Amino acid sequence: MTSILIKNGHVVDPANHVDGIQDILVENGKIAKVGTSLTTQADEVIDATGLTVTPGLIDLQVHMREPGREDRETIETASKAALAGGITAVVSMPNTSPVADNQAVIEFILKRAHDVGLITVYPSGAISKGQKGHVLTEINEVKNAGAIAITDDGVDVQDENLLRRAFQYAKTCDILVMSHCEVEKLTNGGVMHEGWVSTQLGLPGVPAEVEDLAVHKNIMLANMCGARLHLLHNSTKGATEAIREAKRKGHTNITAEVSVQHFALTDEECFHYNTNAKMYPPLRSQAHIEAIIEGIKDDTYDAFTTDHAPHIEPDKLETFQNAAFGSTGLETSFAVMNTYLVKPGHISFSKGISKMTVEPARILRVNKGTLSVGADADIAIFDTRQEWIVDAYKNSFSKGKNCIFDGKKLTGKAVMVIRGGRLKYQNGEILHT
Amino acid sequence: MAIDPEKDLIETRAGRDTSFFDLVSIDSVTPQDMELIFALARKFRSYGTHKFSFNKGCSLVNAFFESSTRTMASFDLSAKQLSMDTSNVGSNSSTTKGESYLDTAETLDSYNLKILVVRAREAGVPEFLARHVQTSVINAGDGWHEHPTQALLDALTMLDHFKGADLKGRTVTIVGDILHSRVFGSLSRILKKLGATIRVAGPETFFPAHVENFGLTLHHKVDEALEGAHVVYALRVQEERGAGGFIPTAREYSKMYGISKRRLDLAAKDAILMHPGPVRRDIDVHSALVSVDERAHILQQVENGMAIRKTLLWLLGNRTDSSIKEFKRK
Repeated sequence: MTSILIKNGHVVDPANHVDGIQDILVENGKIAKVGTSLTTQADEVIDATGLTVTPGLIDLQVHMREPGREDRETIETASKAALAGGITAVVSMPNTSPVADNQAVIEFILKRAHDVGLITVYPSGAISKGQKGHVLTEINEVKNAGAIAITDDGVDVQDENLLRRAFQYAKTCDILVMSHCEVEKLTNGGVMHEGWVSTQLGLPGVPAEVEDLAVHKNIMLANMCGARLHLLHNSTKGATEAIREAKRKGHTNITAEVSVQHFALTDEECFHYNTNAKMYPPLRSQAHIEAIIEGIKDDTYDAFTTDHAPHIEPDKLETFQNAAFGSTGLETSFAVMNTYLVKPGHISFSKGISKMTVEPARILRVNKGTLSVGADADIAIFDTRQEWIVDAYKNSFSKGKNCIFDGKKLTGKAVMVIRGGRLKYQNGEILHT
Repeated sequence: MAIDPEKDLIETRAGRDTSFFDLVSIDSVTPQDMELIFALARKFRSYGTHKFSFNKGCSLVNAFFESSTRTMASFDLSAKQLSMDTSNVGSNSSTTKGESYLDTAETLDSYNLKILVVRAREAGVPEFLARHVQTSVINAGDGWHEHPTQALLDALTMLDHFKGADLKGRTVTIVGDILHSRVFGSLSRILKKLGATIRVAGPETFFPAHVENFGLTLHHKVDEALEGAHVVYALRVQEERGAGGFIPTAREYSKMYGISKRRLDLAAKDAILMHPGPVRRDIDVHSALVSVDERAHILQQVENGMAIRKTLLWLLGNRTDSSIKEFKRK
């Protein structure tokens, strides 16, 4: 096996409280040494002077679209896009075609990810058969096939009794439940945040309470059953308060994330019927963003994700009401975090990185997200000062061009990415090492 | 000596053009635009159904993806009275075969249209299409968003009644379902531009989020909102846009908010009653008031609709400046 020595980089490894110039030696796919002025010989030496070295990022929520919608994205294109964003491991969402509600689909995803060989893919399985909310998936079977969590993401289980059974079963099988929180009856066909912007656009709105109610419900039922619950893509003040309260009461079984667009952008992005701004949860108003940022600061929120949701162009070249929900994000999430949280001084860089590395790893209970000696050598090297303008059409690995950050200027870009001890990405190129 | 109508219109226009190429929202209409539009509309109105040669050789398509009586008829007749060639597509168009709005619009645009009039069930369709076609798009009503030609004809009706250049010091009370109403979307915007005081009366279920930001007051009791109003503008309960579930029954709504003679009498002495149509008699407005009460200006609105639409077709279909609309094919 090869060895790589990364010299003189500014290493940020929140798990080990490292935040300074260090060298890292990678051997046989693992972190072998971390220290100052390492002199060990290596097959390859990377001069990281002026660059920032972190654990490879972990994204808890990615729609890879394969199997079934390879026109939108494949495991290969999503993997490349992830590497370009400094991401080395993702959780794939089960709303594929067929739905990942059985061993066959889970095994297929794992095999494809292995064959592509670029990043680690942790498949999630569906909570209910076909994500229809009527009958439980064979949860133990999908877990044994390799599912890391169960979720009906894209929809929420509307039947509280089924949701209770799901939590009980998840506890039985010791598997994480990831909930997309939405009371659909209250959504009532809404397509964007309900507020002054939706009123001006004449679009049906989604009140924040749609999410608040469902977050409360999910927390209550998870606690009732003693299950591990991870709350996906939270976007409201009410959700933030509910999660903070649960954590204050000591419910360590509850974890929560924010998708980066929800702390960066408001519902004003929807003006001119910009369909890239259509997503669930919807982009909210400034007041909600402020509450979300408070929740990030006080660790109500554990992790940042992308909710990467690629679509073919005709599905977004549509009326706002008929357009597909979702934005791509794998290639931009690090830069969005850096630009919208670190640069304005809301949080430290180290805290931002912890919510994209060690914290998601803790939620998944995987031995990643750190640069500890012996850990998997998944490493991202960033230029945190590089300014770039997002161009989803020209410089993107994702098949989806529906990026809400398209045309926006961001700061910070992955320069090199190592996964499993091998250099996989360098300056815009995917390396098949 | 008889005045030549064409010469009169050309002199009134005095080489002026609108600031906009597409009319998708009242937001893009400036005070100068309004002055020009109203001056020309009054002239067109005075010449009735006279056939003008202004837009000869120009084509218009009415693309109505939702039903219409007065808007479609008035656009079509207006175009013909300007010597335009017209065609109508709509619910029998290829959209029913799954063709997208964009492909439909780009196809029609290939006929070198001067004007594409669009009505759609979804908000934002005219603005979306306008970005991608060379032809001027006129919004004839999009979802719950806007219906700008309706607002222009309503403003003309009010201004002519009060014989003023604006509506400062005048109170307009809008009654009914403003949530599902594109008429309200445009009306609230134009009334603000003209300086009117706006009151809205209706049940809470009909009030969109933060609608008071338009600069208006909300009232649950219609009598209180009507007190001293100069214009009483009743809206229709729009069951086709889902308003059915927002009120318990039309009967109760009529009792709570329907405009009766007693209620109309609460308004100012010279007040007028308006309604964008179609009226649901005895639900929105008491039947006896609709066409016989001298305060009802519903048919004047319809007449002004012809004049406003003719004006816009002339202005947008036949620019005197040489500027060209920017657009991006997709």
